[in-house]
Amino acid sequence: MTTLFEATGVRKSFSGIRALEDVSLRVEAGERVGLIGPNGAGKTTFFNCVLGMLRPDAGRVLLDGQDIGGLPVHRRARRGIGRTFQRIELFADMTVREHLLLADRIRRGEGSLLRDLFGRGGSDADERRRCDEVLELLGLGDLAADPVEALSLGQGRLVEVGRALMTEPRLLLADEPSSGLDREETDALAATLREVQGDRGFAVLLVEHDVELVASFTERTYVLDFGHLIAEGPTAEVMADKRVRQAYFGDVEVGSGS
Amino acid sequence: MVLAAGTGADVLRAVLQGTPPGAVYALVALGFVLTYKTSGVFNLAFGAQAFVSAAMYFQARVEWGWSTVPALVLAVFVLAPLIGLLMERLIFRHLRTASAVSKLVVAIGLSVALPSLFETLTGFSGVAGKTPGGLVPDGANVFYDPLGVYPFSRDELVALGVAVVAMLGLGALFRFTSLGLAMRAVVESPRMTELAGIDSDRVSSVAWMLSSFFAGMAGVLIAPRFNTLMAPDFFHLVVVAIAAAAIGRLVSLPRALLGGLGLGIFIALFRTFLPRWSVDLPWLEPFQDNLTPSMPFVVLFGVLVLWPAIRRSPAAADPLSGVDPPPLSLVSTTRSKVLTRAARVFGVCFLLLVGLTVWFRGDVVWVHLVTQATIMSLIFLSVTIITGLAGQISLCQGTFAAIGALTVFQLADRWDVSVLVAALVGAVIAAVVGALLSIPVLRLGGIWLAIATLAFAFFFDAVMLKFSWVGGGDSSLLQGHRVPRPVLGPWDFADDRRFLVLVVVVFTVVSVLVIRIREGTTGLTLRGLRGSELAAESIGVSPARARMVAFALSAAIAGLGGGLLAIHQENVNYGNNFTPTAALFWVVLVVTLSARTVEGAAQAGAAFSLFNAVILQGAGLAWITRGHLPGFFPLSPKWRFVLFGLASIQFARHPEGLVEHGKRRATVGIDTRLAARRERASSQDANGGEGP
Amino acid sequence: MTPALELRAVEAGYGPFRALFGVTLSVPTGGAVALLGANGAGKTTVARVASGLLVPSSGSVHVDGRDLTGERTFRYARAGVAHAPEGRSVFATFTVEENLTLSFQRLLGSEGLNDGLERAYSIFPRLGERRRQVAGTLSGGEQRMLSMARVLVEAPPVLVADELSLGLAPIVTDEIYATLEAIRASGTAMLIVEQHVGHALALCEHVVLLDKGTVAWEGPADDAADVVVSRLFEKSGG
Repeated sequence: MTTLFEATGVRKSFSGIRALEDVSLRVEAGERVGLIGPNGAGKTTFFNCVLGMLRPDAGRVLLDGQDIGGLPVHRRARRGIGRTFQRIELFADMTVREHLLLADRIRRGEGSLLRDLFGRGGSDADERRRCDEVLELLGLGDLAADPVEALSLGQGRLVEVGRALMTEPRLLLADEPSSGLDREETDALAATLREVQGDRGFAVLLVEHDVELVASFTERTYVLDFGHLIAEGPTAEVMADKRVRQAYFGDVEVGSGS
Repeated sequence: MVLAAGTGADVLRAVLQGTPPGAVYALVALGFVLTYKTSGVFNLAFGAQAFVSAAMYFQARVEWGWSTVPALVLAVFVLAPLIGLLMERLIFRHLRTASAVSKLVVAIGLSVALPSLFETLTGFSGVAGKTPGGLVPDGANVFYDPLGVYPFSRDELVALGVAVVAMLGLGALFRFTSLGLAMRAVVESPRMTELAGIDSDRVSSVAWMLSSFFAGMAGVLIAPRFNTLMAPDFFHLVVVAIAAAAIGRLVSLPRALLGGLGLGIFIALFRTFLPRWSVDLPWLEPFQDNLTPSMPFVVLFGVLVLWPAIRRSPAAADPLSGVDPPPLSLVSTTRSKVLTRAARVFGVCFLLLVGLTVWFRGDVVWVHLVTQATIMSLIFLSVTIITGLAGQISLCQGTFAAIGALTVFQLADRWDVSVLVAALVGAVIAAVVGALLSIPVLRLGGIWLAIATLAFAFFFDAVMLKFSWVGGGDSSLLQGHRVPRPVLGPWDFADDRRFLVLVVVVFTVVSVLVIRIREGTTGLTLRGLRGSELAAESIGVSPARARMVAFALSAAIAGLGGGLLAIHQENVNYGNNFTPTAALFWVVLVVTLSARTVEGAAQAGAAFSLFNAVILQGAGLAWITRGHLPGFFPLSPKWRFVLFGLASIQFARHPEGLVEHGKRRATVGIDTRLAARRERASSQDANGGEGP
Repeated sequence: MTPALELRAVEAGYGPFRALFGVTLSVPTGGAVALLGANGAGKTTVARVASGLLVPSSGSVHVDGRDLTGERTFRYARAGVAHAPEGRSVFATFTVEENLTLSFQRLLGSEGLNDGLERAYSIFPRLGERRRQVAGTLSGGEQRMLSMARVLVEAPPVLVADELSLGLAPIVTDEIYATLEAIRASGTAMLIVEQHVGHALALCEHVVLLDKGTVAWEGPADDAADVVVSRLFEKSGG
């Protein structure tokens, strides 16, 4: 099996302050990987380097062994990197199904101005079926025709997932999917996400502050602190690591009590 | 290369010559940054404020015969800060949470409304050839030549002196007083200033008064350079100030100051050396003739497109981008199908009724007005595409329309091409220009895009138009831009009614196309980009390409409309139809009503053409009262601009547009009433069921 | 006795994004409360609501018994709430002295100003050495000292401190907590928002544990150690 995604020696600094220092990370096809770390550890910076919103100062970002470091955001998306957002990013004034339809059209490279002008820009039965399949999978079947501002935040997150799925990603980057959700909603989201992931078999890189979600969802986890990777390995082992706790919660004398 | 001994002296002379206006630019630029940073308002109305103060000074000094000091006190120390205070308190304070673009629209509205309001209230009017006086007697005539290089006029020295004093004063205020410290603090972060227990609103009011004072002062100082006191000249002032402020990325006061001085000198250098170069290089000549008056716009466009700082950090330059509230979905997507169908049927019936009335009963004037309204609606559909669909504010739609109109004129005049074919060619040319323009401009975000398109519009107006292959050059001045009406087979469209039918058909076709675009892939992509550029990119949308398509489409529609307008009027009439200021008016009108629907464009078109006749001249009232009309009609056309300014404020309150807002209210009202009735009915049923 | 600072059933968020779901907490006069929780639990949002930077969508905020819900931020400051925000919150283009002047001017008046500056420099001598330096060029630790000095020189009735140790070397953190001890001794009520548990538990006598925007547990600091361990660590499977 070849490695699906790999970042090696990624380094980034902002006006002299090092945000990432030699970060290397690897995701195999179909794997669920977590990336955790306290506030300001560099998670977001790393994420942006992977997606192409930032150019790393050094290091390489590989997908299928090919360097994608020079590609703009939308080209990386077409190569198979999907994402969801921490602060939800939906297309206001579009219905749920339209979100998926757009992603589907972009992936297939279908739809042109000329077709639109001839009045054939609407969705055909085939496209609707494909969208509704994913919506059913996410439990959003009843909401397909609703405008997105009527949705709850949890449902909105699922729409983001659905939109990303329509691009048929091989790697889904989930940016703090639990933020803004309460415990119950988080659990529901996690359950759906796992089900869909099992169904479609894409890999997930989960950036999260909700340790519980990471523990239950991921197989392997990386931990960032001050721009350094301080731990990596099977999630349960990483969570038990003393350095990880220190990074998160400081020097807790009470740690000895555990 | 001629490096004669004189060159050094020429450079020095140009530097000296550019310093006094540069100092005035710097004054306005400082005020500009101050208001932008303390209240988030990109105050395009500064030019208007400068004009009002200059006109007030002129009025008091010349018309009322006051002496210099009281006139100056009234115009600059009382009126200017008062206007600033009123603008902040009455308008912009309530728009704090409005989007940056809505605030821009309001500022544009005010920049048109303020001079008109002033002129209407005081009866002021600019008289050609009457040079406005400076602060000192014989300001223009007496020269001082301290270095033996450049003879300063007394007005220039006064301008320089006052500007230097004002800047020193501002520097002292900032450095040594608690108010100045608070103002700098608000410029940096209003929130952190509040944490120190300082009321940032009050500080921002003071900043408005101070910057308006600067604008007024600059107006009075720069007035002697103009032949006539006219508002547009003062608009140039604010344009250079924006460029200067842009050099400091709108955040740095010292850089804005240096930017202003630098641009003043740069313009003077350019004026000194361009004529010389064009002696050797003849192809420069048209530029030399035409570039000079439009230097402010060229400079602004150049700074926006070339200055790396703006491109690198659009977010930093526009701190409000990204917090704009998301637009609501169109009412038609949320309301019930029955209601939508009813509304459509009603709309079609209404249009038919209007059409039939005009066809059978309308006189020449009404046919003309309705035709114009339809063509304007067509042009406004271009705003529907670029603003309503793509979410970008473009202020050069008038230029695209002018390109269409001029193409029709050129092709018909030179090669006798059929005007209808020429109109289509014009649309294509406009599309190409639009696409090309989008390349440098679209990298700028939000408000900068609007400003860059505005600069382009003025650049076209001042430079390109003068070329004979664009605007027709001198020959057009003699012959006019004559455009014939088309003949299509058996139909001769010289007949106004037939032409109206043609125009309605074209409008209908384009409307259908616009709706198809909105509902097709192109529309989905653009709506997605407007909703969230980040998310659109994350699914593989290329923003640059999608926006280029939007720009080209929008330009094509505007070009087609412009061509039709020229055919309708049988003349291009650039000055009446397509000037940048007129086009500003269009955009504000459309977004105020509704930029997102075809009917919004139609209503804007109707409002644009019929407003004058119906409201200002009381034609509608006259028709109803059959001539028994009280004598206060026609109103001064200036009121149009005032009303328009007020309307733009409405826009900021309802950024979805008045039409859409009204529809939403009506829909919600009908829905609740229906629900109430249903409830009543069902409860009656329940009661009935309980009966015997 | 009325508490110095009280939040009642506060819900708050950013746009459609909800961060707090009914948070109630109070800081007694002269007391010190530690607000703990994982990343993203809503701690910073609580701090922002407490100092008026963020208006809650429902619930109320009381300072010294006065309901200030919905008032502007500067009213909170004038009512005695001092806020040390997270991150490098200094006026970057100001000199060190100007930064301090802005804060002291209203508090101490022009006659007390010099005295206040001297006291600030005696607490943080490094700031005194750099009084003419532009704040943006200070190191992270020095900037943090500066933002602390702005609120600490004249002990405020209420201090809301947000993630003081974030991104600082341990020795600097120690220094800042030593200053907090001194301020606390002078009677300032404190709401200390922290991710690092150790310092906060040593300083405060009461602990509020936040999880996903709700209060998961609260109680005396002595009992908190075990609870914190089980809440923040055990659940994560370690």
